[in-house]
Amino acid sequence: MAIANVKVEGLQKSFWDESRGEVRAVDGIDFDCQPGEVFGLLGANGAGKTTTLRMLATILKPTGGSASLNGYDVLADPEAVRRSLGFYSASTALYPRLTGRETLEFFARINGYPANQVNQRVEELIDRFGIREYAGARVGKLSSGMRQKISIARTIVHDPPILIFDEPTVGLDVMAALEMQNVIHELRDEGKVIIFSTHIMSEAEKLCDRIGIIHQGRILALGTLEEHRQATGKHYLEDVFVHEVMQAEDQSAKAMASPGEPRTSL
Amino acid sequence: MNWSDIWVLYRRELRSAFRDRTIVMNGILVPVFMYPIMMWVMMTGLMFVMGQMDRESSRLVILDPPAEHSALLDTLGAQTNLEIQEDVLSEDSAMVLLRAGDLDALVEFLPPTDEGSALEDNFQVLIRYDRAIGRSSQASARVESTIADYRSEWLSQQASALGIPETEHEQFQIVQDNVSTEEDIGTLLMGMMIPMFLVLMIAMGCLMPAIDSTAGERERSTWETLMTVSASRLSVVTSKYFYVATLGILAGVLNVVAMFASMGVIMGPLLMDLGESANAFQFSLPFLALPVMIVAAIALALFFAAAMMILAAFARTFKDGQAMVGPVFLLAMMPILMGQQTDQTLTPLTAAIPVANAAMMIRDAINGVFLWPLIAETLAVLLAMVTACLLIARVLLKTEDFILLSPDGRFSKFSKIFKSSSRSRLGRNSSEGLK
Repeated sequence: MAIANVKVEGLQKSFWDESRGEVRAVDGIDFDCQPGEVFGLLGANGAGKTTTLRMLATILKPTGGSASLNGYDVLADPEAVRRSLGFYSASTALYPRLTGRETLEFFARINGYPANQVNQRVEELIDRFGIREYAGARVGKLSSGMRQKISIARTIVHDPPILIFDEPTVGLDVMAALEMQNVIHELRDEGKVIIFSTHIMSEAEKLCDRIGIIHQGRILALGTLEEHRQATGKHYLEDVFVHEVMQAEDQSAKAMASPGEPRTSL
Repeated sequence: MNWSDIWVLYRRELRSAFRDRTIVMNGILVPVFMYPIMMWVMMTGLMFVMGQMDRESSRLVILDPPAEHSALLDTLGAQTNLEIQEDVLSEDSAMVLLRAGDLDALVEFLPPTDEGSALEDNFQVLIRYDRAIGRSSQASARVESTIADYRSEWLSQQASALGIPETEHEQFQIVQDNVSTEEDIGTLLMGMMIPMFLVLMIAMGCLMPAIDSTAGERERSTWETLMTVSASRLSVVTSKYFYVATLGILAGVLNVVAMFASMGVIMGPLLMDLGESANAFQFSLPFLALPVMIVAAIALALFFAAAMMILAAFARTFKDGQAMVGPVFLLAMMPILMGQQTDQTLTPLTAAIPVANAAMMIRDAINGVFLWPLIAETLAVLLAMVTACLLIARVLLKTEDFILLSPDGRFSKFSKIFKSSSRSRLGRNSSEGLK
């Protein structure tokens, strides 16, 4: 059995909201991921996907539970976690006044890639993503498609063993989204651990080796697509998702109706 | 904190900054070119106004001129810059014209007072003018000057007719002798201007980078990208702090160099046109002034950088950042004006007033005054302010809501978020900051 590169146990995140009081954005989730695996977090907007991934990336601190990446605890050694990690999301933009090449050099150096190999690595990625033609142009002057390629290259420039993609295809056109999916496949084939969040069912079906359905901060069901189908009797992931969410809502409603009863473990 | 990471981040900040038009404009071009352009505009404008006023004739009405002093009337009439209006014959009509601005001065010759009437051919002159109008004031000055000259000449003639030598009838002669050299005057003027503009430029140099490196990062959505790099939060903020302070110092240094380079070249010829000597703008600096100025500039830059970054970090957008830091920037300028209002050197009290103390310390140094205990007090006060700002920054850095959720540039909202953040820190995380 392979050593888990990502291990999440009872992870929680609570916020205090003036009107709602304490809000549990993530409510004790568990999962682990293996090298060469694409693990998908599938959930609606506000389900807790981004908060979970931000905790794994040490941008947010968990308020309960634990998470370790590549053997490093997110609270005890966040810098080592970040060195082992490439994080990509729609809200991680690039510096518009740097060129593509400078961007890659900067992120390689700041993420601890060996200084004497930075240039070679940058040139390798420039060729891999076909960005040589505009690698010397400032990022701010490039099209969104060009920027996306540089952004992906930026994410993997320090060759991290773990990659997190938080809804990476949001806002992309069909071709760009397809290209992103191809990159994720390639990275999986290279043996990277990939954690991928999406609310697009077809994307999860196509990309993920295992899928965790997340709703209101909790993972309702976790397994391969086939396992989900067998557990629910539904063929399409969309139906599986709706089935799991409805079941959770029903249980929640029952729990509200009889507050004395203990909550059912999912 | 890792110095290697700080260096990589610092270089990235500088590289981006030197490609930003606003930062280059405020941090380099304005400090370098402001003095020559400002001086040229100011002096040219002054000369233009003076020329205009010299060319403008003063409209006068003269009532009841004494027949015995017809020479005075002839003198007034002969002056090309005085235009005597002879068609106005009464005081009332002249006053109407004066109040309407159609007349610049009314000159009335009156009988002498009782004591004065003992002297033969004595008279009084009443000059009515409107002080609120420059042209009228100038007319009054011209008439007064002409009459004073006439009186002096007349007294000399009278004394001569009585056989009294001029030196005897004018017993209390006032002779002025300015012992200061042109260099002293130049140093005095530089001492007034350099501190004010140095402080202003350092603050201006820090302003845009402070906003760009905090609110600007949020607006561009690069803040979250930066939060995912392996460098510690402290390294990230330290690199930004050094970057902002560097641009503040750069702006200040460039400004002083530009000032020294441009003053003589621009002011010299202009002052010559105004009748001053060609060397009117010579100056020299005491040997110790330069290091004292550099130390003051560094301390000021560290202070402005820390204060401005903290304020700008509350904003989500560049515009919000400008709105938040702008008024404080202006407020910081007030102590400089205070420092300019006094001829005193640093005192224990003024050395305790941030910003004003540095301005006065620089001025003292330019004038060759080095009050070391008070210089030490000034630096201690500024560094205490820097420490206070850094302590605030440390508290803010431990608040992840501050790192991620900008309170939209409103302190009140941030205060609520900060309180709620404290409440939501549960269990083992309560004492740990973001690393």
